[in-house]
Amino acid sequence: MSTYLRRAYSSFATHILDIPPRLLALLFLLLLLAFPLTKPRSTYLIILTAANMGAIFAASWDLLVGRCGQMNLGHALFFGTGAYITALLNFHLGWPIGVTIPLAVLTTVAIAVLVGFPSLRVKGPYLALVTMALPLIATGIVFYFKDWTGGERPLSGLDHFFSFLPYEQWFIAQYYFTLLLLVVSGIIIYKIANSHKIGVIFVSILDDELSSRASGINTTKYKLMAFALSALFASLAGAISAHLAHLRSTDIGMLSLTTTFLAVIMTIFGGVGTIYGPIAGAFILQFLQRYVLVEVVEVETHWQMIIFLGLIVVLIIKWPRGIAKFTTDKLEDLAEERPIEERGKHIWKRERKKKSSHEG
Amino acid sequence: MHLLEVENLTKRFGGLAAVNNVSFHVDEGEIVGLIGPNGAGKTTLFNLITGFLKPDSGTVKFRGEDITGLAPNKIVNKGVVRTFQVVRPFRHLPTIANVLVALASPRGSKKIEWLRTPEAKALLILEKVGLTEMMMEPAEILSHGDLKRLEIARALATEPELMLLDEPFGGMSPIETDFLTKSIRTMHLDGHTMFIVEHKLYALMKLAQRIVVLHYGEKIAEGKPEEVAKNKKVREVYMGGAM
Repeated sequence: MSTYLRRAYSSFATHILDIPPRLLALLFLLLLLAFPLTKPRSTYLIILTAANMGAIFAASWDLLVGRCGQMNLGHALFFGTGAYITALLNFHLGWPIGVTIPLAVLTTVAIAVLVGFPSLRVKGPYLALVTMALPLIATGIVFYFKDWTGGERPLSGLDHFFSFLPYEQWFIAQYYFTLLLLVVSGIIIYKIANSHKIGVIFVSILDDELSSRASGINTTKYKLMAFALSALFASLAGAISAHLAHLRSTDIGMLSLTTTFLAVIMTIFGGVGTIYGPIAGAFILQFLQRYVLVEVVEVETHWQMIIFLGLIVVLIIKWPRGIAKFTTDKLEDLAEERPIEERGKHIWKRERKKKSSHEG
Repeated sequence: MHLLEVENLTKRFGGLAAVNNVSFHVDEGEIVGLIGPNGAGKTTLFNLITGFLKPDSGTVKFRGEDITGLAPNKIVNKGVVRTFQVVRPFRHLPTIANVLVALASPRGSKKIEWLRTPEAKALLILEKVGLTEMMMEPAEILSHGDLKRLEIARALATEPELMLLDEPFGGMSPIETDFLTKSIRTMHLDGHTMFIVEHKLYALMKLAQRIVVLHYGEKIAEGKPEEVAKNKKVREVYMGGAM
């Protein structure tokens, strides 16, 4: 038993403890896990829950745009469609969330592939324009079926995940639930983006699509795959957001350009094409926008947005490659400055132990 | 049956016939050269064969199978691969990952089973073209000569039967040219048939067994290097009669 534990520990050490950026991510995760222990107000838990969902949403945008180079400015389509489909099924038919959310995600993936086909014939700024129009069309559809969707009014009173718990505990439960989802989806997206097959092909399409075809890659297939994977995680974030306390409702704003640009800002702020960047960006921006500017500085409402966006402009100019990329680069430089015998010391320790046990 | 058979291939851009009624063939195991002055239609011919352009008329057959107008990636997966005259690496990817892209193609991945991992095969290919030292560097910092060799490494990764090299010696120093000549010979011995466009005639004459000459989109001569060099028409249009 102890051998297994030791082996698990040494693998943990080589894969996480010895790599400074991963260690940082682990510490951040521990911080997030421990946060509810301070018995915070439910507002803070709501802010962090929103950050969890925003992080998944932004990371899915980064996979499509930062890695595969498909300039999608209509990412809200996936988020909103996911939210509206689960809400409609849950509200009108009374189906349980366990059924409606997977259905919503699958439908959105199908829609993503459908809109992907025509969109992929255009590139760059033209693709951006075409995709930007799609959520507007979806908004039009929502307004047209006003009786069903509520039009500009939200569909509220949807089911909650933890309706079996007392209301006061919903916030903590949904916080941990969304955090778990973020960790799982974050790792999956990161693994896809860095895989030696799909990830490498995505970057090759970003760099030079024609050249990728000359290497025998069916780029259309992989671009559609990028759309589908991205839509999967974006719609998951959207569908879950519709069932979160305290609102438990859809919002026509979920399909708006603002929602897309939230993902864009988070990604650029954190670091395009890094996957962990948008996740860090989501937390930092939520913290700035909804805690620092509201609770700490207490500026007037109409000044909040100006200061917030001004700050973003300054920070992006300061760190054009993203704040997370900047940090990890710095950490890697520090790691390289360490003398060689101190590097990867966990591995060395293990080797030494093995030797002494042989001698003994 | 010829390995590659091009019949009456024609491509017009507006009124200009970039490739006009060109027919030739490449046999298995040959090294065939393609020469011609600037604007003769050499690269257009390459684009037509590899599916990057669709011909107005004529057919391209590979092993007797009509591949005219197929998508480029499909043609690669049949065993015909090309390199680009102006290098087109994946700049954000490390050198080895550039090769991994080609190894991820259906044809590339099918042929690596005996080496078990794409990474091992990629290393082997990089060694063949002499890029092992640069394997972890991003392609954007590679020198021009290295990028030219990377193009060939990527082409090799798809295990082609026929390789179309578009000016592989372009912008290379004499030492690099020698090295590349050697690796092309090795690849030829490994069983890859070659079809090479080149401006550096000296390097090409040493390699090719047969040479096709294009001028204003038309084939004006074909034959052994010595014969072509002596051809009167070729001298007039291509070398300005100076030889």
